[in-house]
Amino acid sequence: MALQDKYQELINAAKTSEVNNLQVREQQNVLYIDGVAPTGQVKDNLWSIYNKIDPDFRSGDLVMNINVSTMAPGAQATVTTDSSNLNIRKGPGTDQPLIGKAAHGSTVTLVSKTNDQWWLIRTANGEEGYAYAQYLTVA
Amino acid sequence: MKLTDVKILFVGCILSTGVYFTSCKSKPKDTDTGSNIDTTAITAPAPATPAPVEIAADDSLTAGVKDATKDYPDVKADVSNGEITLTGEVKRSRLANLLMSLNSLKPKKINNQLTIK
Repeated sequence: MALQDKYQELINAAKTSEVNNLQVREQQNVLYIDGVAPTGQVKDNLWSIYNKIDPDFRSGDLVMNINVSTMAPGAQATVTTDSSNLNIRKGPGTDQPLIGKAAHGSTVTLVSKTNDQWWLIRTANGEEGYAYAQYLTVA
Repeated sequence: MKLTDVKILFVGCILSTGVYFTSCKSKPKDTDTGSNIDTTAITAPAPATPAPVEIAADDSLTAGVKDATKDYPDVKADVSNGEITLTGEVKRSRLANLLMSLNSLKPKKINNQLTIK
């Protein structure tokens, strides 16, 4: 329970910002928080609270897996890489061959979700392949 | 004498028929729901223990970590017994994004030993 006290502000924020399927579990001195946030802003806010309680995420006592519900099939997502174009691959993995690129800042369609890391996407040109979810943002 | 035998036989027949129908009447009907069975004890709610946290196997963690750290050339990540240990260097502005990816891989724990630039 000590960890839930440490991260109480984070847990409360998740509850009040309507994170769905919220699960807070403690196992072998690690706290696990899972859930689905209604927007990307809610997810970012939870991560900034996490960073405030545990600066630079040093303690190794929390694993927080928050997905965003608007990241769903059919949604339009923006390519939010730092500056480069986003690789589109034949399959879900960086070991898969490149079949195209989605331009930085361009809009793509989410086709289906393979897992929390990889999405099958379609570019405006009709190119279809797998891209890393971290670089896709739904407004 | 013979008439008496017939009477006894007749009465016996009636009695046994009665027994037969009575036994049929009390026979339980076949049902799929088992509605006649008292299930109170079985359906009593189980105590609410949360499901244990799912931890990914090292193989899938290693593959996921490789994908997540691909664009962070100065970050080294080791996977062992479900734990991800990060060493090397990262810019503070990119730290949270890296950790968001790693936290979604279902690790047991993340040991962040990165030098932050």
